[in-house]
Amino acid sequence: MLRYISNRLIGLIIVLIGVTVLTFIFSNISTVDPAEAFARRNILNPTPMQIEELREEMGLNLPVYRQYFHWMGESMKGNLGISLLTKNPVSADIAKKMPATLSIVGMAFFWIVVITLPISILSAVKQNGVFDHVARVITIFGISMPNFWLGFIMLIAFAVVVPIFNVVDYGNFKSIILPSLTLAIPVISSSIRLFRATILLNMNKDFVTYAKARGISKTNIIWKHILKNSLPPMITLMCQNLGYMIAGSAIVESVFSWPGIGSHLVEAIVGRDLPTINGCVLVIAVIFVLSNLFADVVNIMLNPKILNEQGEF
Amino acid sequence: MSNLLEIRELNITLVENQRPIVKNVSFNVGKGRILGIIGESGSGKTLTSKAIMRLLNEKIFTVKGQVEFRGNNLLQMSEREIEGVMGKDISMIMQNPMTAFDPMMKIGKQIIETVKAHLPLSKKQAYDMGVQQLKKMNLNRVSEIMNSYPHTLSGGMLQRIMIAIALLLEPRIIIADEATTALDVSTQSIILDEFKKIQDKGISLIVVTHDFGVIAKVANDVIVMKDGEIIEDGTVHEIFYNPKTEYTKELLKARLLADEVSYA
Repeated sequence: MLRYISNRLIGLIIVLIGVTVLTFIFSNISTVDPAEAFARRNILNPTPMQIEELREEMGLNLPVYRQYFHWMGESMKGNLGISLLTKNPVSADIAKKMPATLSIVGMAFFWIVVITLPISILSAVKQNGVFDHVARVITIFGISMPNFWLGFIMLIAFAVVVPIFNVVDYGNFKSIILPSLTLAIPVISSSIRLFRATILLNMNKDFVTYAKARGISKTNIIWKHILKNSLPPMITLMCQNLGYMIAGSAIVESVFSWPGIGSHLVEAIVGRDLPTINGCVLVIAVIFVLSNLFADVVNIMLNPKILNEQGEF
Repeated sequence: MSNLLEIRELNITLVENQRPIVKNVSFNVGKGRILGIIGESGSGKTLTSKAIMRLLNEKIFTVKGQVEFRGNNLLQMSEREIEGVMGKDISMIMQNPMTAFDPMMKIGKQIIETVKAHLPLSKKQAYDMGVQQLKKMNLNRVSEIMNSYPHTLSGGMLQRIMIAIALLLEPRIIIADEATTALDVSTQSIILDEFKKIQDKGISLIVVTHDFGVIAKVANDVIVMKDGEIIEDGTVHEIFYNPKTEYTKELLKARLLADEVSYA
């Protein structure tokens, strides 16, 4: 098990290098010159000379690979650079914005678990019943709706037409509900489809027939055998979603004017704030990759057979 | 000879298009007898055995007829009642031991769960019962087995564990559906010997197979199925030395051929 995790961690480092290299390349391909953008923001009518000076000061005149190695070396030491927009250390900015994102993602995760599990179980057990059909129609809607559109509809419905919530709000529990639901609904919809299908697949497995033949009650078969065996793909999906939600919260955060890492990243991209972009991408990538590893470790603990199949005993 | 199980006019049709799959099947299982049901795949032998145990999905199959067991029609019992009979009075040995056990539950837990479904015993008592039964099956390192996940054990071992579970609650009848098909020849003969020992305890057996060799070794009575119908029945002696239908003769010939090849 320890060997498996350390092997995986080495793999993760390679992934992180890949992600950061790509970010560096993409920000360099972009036609907007970060030095010029910075100059125009800070100096009224900057001269080409001033722009060149700034470029040298920021190290942007160096070749990309040297910029990358310099940044890598510094970030290993925990220094992600200074934001060009806020003039604060990037890591401090991220630390300040992270709790806001984590609060809606955490809440969304809560919705996903409490809504997905009962609905998919009921849909599968009463397959093709009225409940199953209604759930199917609603989940297909949920999967098809884009996040930002859903966010605006929620705002119009529950903050304007029926003013239960405030349009712009932050810092209390009530304000978390709409953004987290917006983030959760598409994930809930696709998770219900997957979990229902997995449960149905397991219902026809040999071990269920054998459990019935041993006289195990229907409730015990569902809870102790079918559900347990249906969990592994669910855990993987949930942890992946956790990564996706943190990485993809930008849209929802901008719809709800939510001061999290997503909108911070969008601002940085618009303002050509390279250190912030690189820092945010690195942090999000680390979270994403770790949540995937976490999913695999939980799955192995639930079902040691997986490790066996990979020949890593 | 009194009958333990009487199957009358068993009919199985597909819900979807009402197509009959098993037609008017009637037979008896005597006390302490081994009945062999033989037929090719698709002959309806497995469906028949599953219908007796109420294991068929009601959304796919309609089962009609009577399965009389100790004065009750199994087909008309409530779900609760049938749970009480399954695994207790009637138990089953499945075709593929590698897939029959829950892959995510230790063997010991699956045994305990079976005992506790039928008897008001503590976990410890149920565990001890399981250990005793596994020892009777001549299995070694029993506590290790109890603590193992199914995928770490061999098919032959799992099949013997399954037989142990089948015997655990002293059933009256055991249904073995192609119980030896997935096993190698030497394990097969060990399992067939176990069937003989089960019979010595006065327990009846239904052995579903496509292999006349299995029938020859263990069965007392035989029914031959083809396309969902019984085309011939009788004692093993009658079927082997005086088969009435061409189909049975063909099956026997095929078996003899297979034997010649394997012994050559």
